[in-house]
Amino acid sequence: MSFSELPHTADVRIRARSETLEGIFSDLTDALMQVMYGKFTAIRSETLVVKEVRVSGDDTASLLFNYLSEVLFLNEVGGIVFVRADVRVTGNKLHARLFGEVFDPARHSGGTEVKGISYSGLEVRNDANGYIAEIVFDV
Amino acid sequence: MLAGVVQKGELEWEVPIGFVPGMRVPGKFYLSARLEEILEEGAVRQLANVATLPGILCCSLAMPDIHWGYGFPIGGVAAFDLTEGVISPGGVGFDINCGVRLLATPLGQRDVAGRRDLIDAMYQAVPTGVGAKSSLRMDAKTLDGMMMKGARYAVEAGYGLPGDLVRCEENGFMKAADVKAVSGKARQRGVPQGGTLGSGNHFLEIQVVREIYDPEAAKAFGLAEGQVCCMIHCGSRGLGHQVCTDHIKILEESTRKYHIRLPDRQLACAPIGSPEGTAYFGAMAASANYAWANRQVITHAARNVFKKLFRIPHEEIPLIYDVAHNVAKIEEHTVDKKKRMVCVHRKGATRAFGPGCPDIPADLSSIGQPVIIPGSMGTPSFVLKGTRGAMEKTFGSTCHGAGRVMSRSQAKKKISGKEIAESLARQGIYVRAPNEAAISDEAPDVYKPSSEVVRVVHEAGISRLVARLDPVGVIKG
Repeated sequence: MSFSELPHTADVRIRARSETLEGIFSDLTDALMQVMYGKFTAIRSETLVVKEVRVSGDDTASLLFNYLSEVLFLNEVGGIVFVRADVRVTGNKLHARLFGEVFDPARHSGGTEVKGISYSGLEVRNDANGYIAEIVFDV
Repeated sequence: MLAGVVQKGELEWEVPIGFVPGMRVPGKFYLSARLEEILEEGAVRQLANVATLPGILCCSLAMPDIHWGYGFPIGGVAAFDLTEGVISPGGVGFDINCGVRLLATPLGQRDVAGRRDLIDAMYQAVPTGVGAKSSLRMDAKTLDGMMMKGARYAVEAGYGLPGDLVRCEENGFMKAADVKAVSGKARQRGVPQGGTLGSGNHFLEIQVVREIYDPEAAKAFGLAEGQVCCMIHCGSRGLGHQVCTDHIKILEESTRKYHIRLPDRQLACAPIGSPEGTAYFGAMAASANYAWANRQVITHAARNVFKKLFRIPHEEIPLIYDVAHNVAKIEEHTVDKKKRMVCVHRKGATRAFGPGCPDIPADLSSIGQPVIIPGSMGTPSFVLKGTRGAMEKTFGSTCHGAGRVMSRSQAKKKISGKEIAESLARQGIYVRAPNEAAISDEAPDVYKPSSEVVRVVHEAGISRLVARLDPVGVIKG
């Protein structure tokens, strides 16, 4: 499981690669948080806040758009920085458990606010090695 | 230039029908040879994609700060027929009514030279950066007021002067606002962020008017050489972002319902008069109003700082003008020699109405609308005036700023925030930001030169230069 940044002048374009579709969703959750808060070391797991996400979509792209938009919403209104996402995808439905820590300006700095998840350039495909997704975050 | 793009004049280029399948009208953009080197193919493709939308009039336009965005290119302008045409969040963006305003003070450069306490006080007074919370006591009623009446609500609540409103595009609020079309989620994001600056390219800057190009217009606007000004650049924060996200989901379905074929899902749209199109327009207008209220609240905070540090009453710090960069509006334009109402989308573009337009302040009617073009951090900003040329060629629109040439990750690798802050300090520009990354992300050379962008719109006649302002202090989100 991994993600990397691709060239994009105005916004942030990410490519994620994973053996499973679920891995793509959880990698992009990490990517989203890293764009917003920079690289930080997560605190001890027993103090984490847990949030549940249930979304559906017409296809994988809209499932990803709806899921990451929901992560962004929960992050902002709850002031929660997510450090892990356990995702289960069943057909066109998704259920995720998100684990996060309370936003702390001293630790979660160095990033840029993501305004939204873009459909432009959003692509999920699979090959012999698993899944690849490309996505643009508007910053 | 890219294959298939045709030069139509020194600064005018055409993307002919057929550049991408399904184009209904050509694309047209303004660019100089110097800016051509950094034109991205993706941006031209997006300009062509817009030309495939139903009901588009004349052509799909882009200003010289054109660059690769999502849906429309940034710098994109398109007008649509009210019956046949569509409305799309992809033509407005996530940051609805991201915009900029300029305040003039009676201070001169000598009054602020070396006054780091001015920037420090601004930084304290205006909540800034990722996760910053509002200092306002907001509730659902306040939020409704901001969404319904924009800057007017803020002024009536004591955050400004009545004279501020006539110096705002739309007098500071769009009447089409429909708070019922704004989701509970968007409201939840809006309450804690009222009056916050945000992050990214948003800023508050202290600037000095360094050069006047058009003395008559400068005088009419209220600007004089050597004068200290304050520029505020921000938008509708999480509320606008959520409205965009919510309505893209709704409009994705209506795209299918109305059998509209799209080259890019981010262009999800609906006929302007359809229930879905009307709902988006109402929610977008409510978000635009929230943004105007935000800039008004920040204006009040900035005036308080000037009052405290320099004993200047609020009345002596007038608003020069406030413009929106990301918005769709119903406006009257001449199409095929006939006046008619159309829906103009401006995404990273500024309204630039010319002399005689009824929508500009009466005392500026013979001059044209003030146009505020922010530079990137550490580079000059410009004030221009709207022209008849813009009314004829670009649905009364011009550029909105510099436009990036380097990604944020490249920028971070190239030079550290600390080095940039030190280099700017040597030039007499003091920067305050929540962290180093906020500075390196927005370093001056990651943007196209703002002077070249405004030179193009000036020479193309779609707005004319009035004054240049150089920064002396910046607070960044």
